[in-house]
Amino acid sequence: MFTIDQYAYTNRLRVIHPGEKMAFALITLLIALIAPNLVIPAIIIFLMAGITIGVARIPVRFYLKLFLVPFSFLIAGIAMIALIITTQSLAVTKGITFLGWTIGVTPASIQLAGKIFCKSLGAVSCLYFLSLTTPMTEIISVLRKLHVPALLVDLISLNYRFIFVLLSTVDDIYTAQASRLGYVSLRTSYYSLGHLAVNLFIKTYKRSRELFVALTSRGYNEELKFLEVNYPFSWLFLFLAAGLDLALISLTIISWR
Amino acid sequence: MAAILEAKAVKFTYPDGTQALKGVTLDIPEGKKIAVLGSNGAGKSTLFLHFNGILRPQEGDIYFAGTKLSYNHNALKKLRQHVGIVFQDPDSMLFSASVLQEISFGPLNLGLDRGQVLSRVQKAMEATGITNLKDKPTHFLSYGQKKRVAIASVLAMEPEVIIFDEPTAYLDPKSIKEIIALLETINQQDKTIVLSTHDVDIAYSWADYTYVLAQGQVIGKGKPEEVFQNASLLETADLTRPWILDVYEGLKKKGWLPVTAPVPKNKAELLELIPCKSN
Ligand SMILES: Nc1ncnc2c1ncn2[C@@H]1O[C@H](COP(=O)(O)OP(=O)(O)OP(=O)(O)O)[C@@H](O)[C@H]1O
Ligand SMILES: [Mg+2]
Repeated sequence: MFTIDQYAYTNRLRVIHPGEKMAFALITLLIALIAPNLVIPAIIIFLMAGITIGVARIPVRFYLKLFLVPFSFLIAGIAMIALIITTQSLAVTKGITFLGWTIGVTPASIQLAGKIFCKSLGAVSCLYFLSLTTPMTEIISVLRKLHVPALLVDLISLNYRFIFVLLSTVDDIYTAQASRLGYVSLRTSYYSLGHLAVNLFIKTYKRSRELFVALTSRGYNEELKFLEVNYPFSWLFLFLAAGLDLALISLTIISWR
Repeated sequence: MAAILEAKAVKFTYPDGTQALKGVTLDIPEGKKIAVLGSNGAGKSTLFLHFNGILRPQEGDIYFAGTKLSYNHNALKKLRQHVGIVFQDPDSMLFSASVLQEISFGPLNLGLDRGQVLSRVQKAMEATGITNLKDKPTHFLSYGQKKRVAIASVLAMEPEVIIFDEPTAYLDPKSIKEIIALLETINQQDKTIVLSTHDVDIAYSWADYTYVLAQGQVIGKGKPEEVFQNASLLETADLTRPWILDVYEGLKKKGWLPVTAPVPKNKAELLELIPCKSN
């Protein structure tokens, strides 16, 4: 989480208008989802990975590691889709038969699993592109400009801040416990972990109370107002992004027919 | 000098039954530098929250510029434009993602336009020396940097009274010096400054007037020269004597200084007093 955020602030595409990056990521994501076959999502995966690694200069190792996170979930999910359990022994089914039940795969089920796999990873690659190149602050300010309801935007920005407050609180408590041998055995680990969870809740509650007090003292009035930074539009990025997306859309339309 | 803030017989008990203030009466003269001293748990932070209208006295009253505080929405809004607080723990103050946005929050709530806000933010960042941190997210800052951002975020609102709850705690010596210099600059712009501290040396050299709190009561007040020469008061409040006074007394006792030598306010004045060897 910390690392993603750090890259978001330091990558090569940082200076590009956040709205452009958001539009590019979301439109491409949409294409990945509506594409009728698995070729287009596959292209999108390579495209997004190429831009994120090649242009934004995110280290390959970190990027691949990040991909492992959804990968393991996906494999489990895909397996359930690919596998078919049936009593009718069809010719196309390949698998083992046991007591009249067949567990196996059909070409259609493999096709479906592959499509879902590629689409999911395609969507993930779009989101990774966005989160690795655009700081959350800028995404929030774009949402605000798009007139997303203030309550929602405030919630998102407070959540974002509190994720880090929570993480550092967990870190502090864990270090404090570990330095006093709180995790030497399984028994003490359970005990310490329980205390960590309870304390985290209490501390977070206290933090949010304090925050509210501090906000009030600075004139908080049911809306968090911030100064927005204006970014210049990058025509080059806009044209390139539009070109890529148009190409992908025409591919989609062609493969539909 | 007229009092800009006053507490009259203020009593406050926290919901868990802790009596934090047991009838505190004190006044903050306009344009002065006030230090509030007291050991841990004496009630300093609780008192400060009353000056900003965040806590409401259960008995007694708070006065701002001579008028009794009423706790309706508009009165509170006005009070908070005039009185700013920099809290003890900067982490409890900072909530936005970038430094620039954090500092812009207060001025925007005052209803200023973009240009004015931007120039105030810029000024506050320069005064606290954090212009280079402008785009940093607040969670990547060090403690001392967070403290400066917290101070800048209140400075940018340009209140007449600024209350600092332990501004120098956990800072390195250089930062302490810079913060004290900053307080001096702010004060020269006719602003009233109230601060709480455990550092008697800072309080002694810096303040025009001091209050000593212990267990929710004011047990001493006066010019720092008077307060810090009162040994029994220092004893009850668990405070130590500033080293300048220790050295001054020692020099006097051993005959290096005449008994009539004026009390030095800071290191420079003390060194000035000490005679050359040839005399
Ligand atoms: N939210 C709270 N709930 C209950 N009791 C509290 C709360 N905040 C403070 N207290 C109690 O009120 C008393 C005064 O606390 P306060 O924070 O005002 O002291 P302080 O002078 O600022 O101390 P320090 O120098 O440690 O900051 C203490 O006994 C403290 O335990
Ligand atoms: Mg305190």
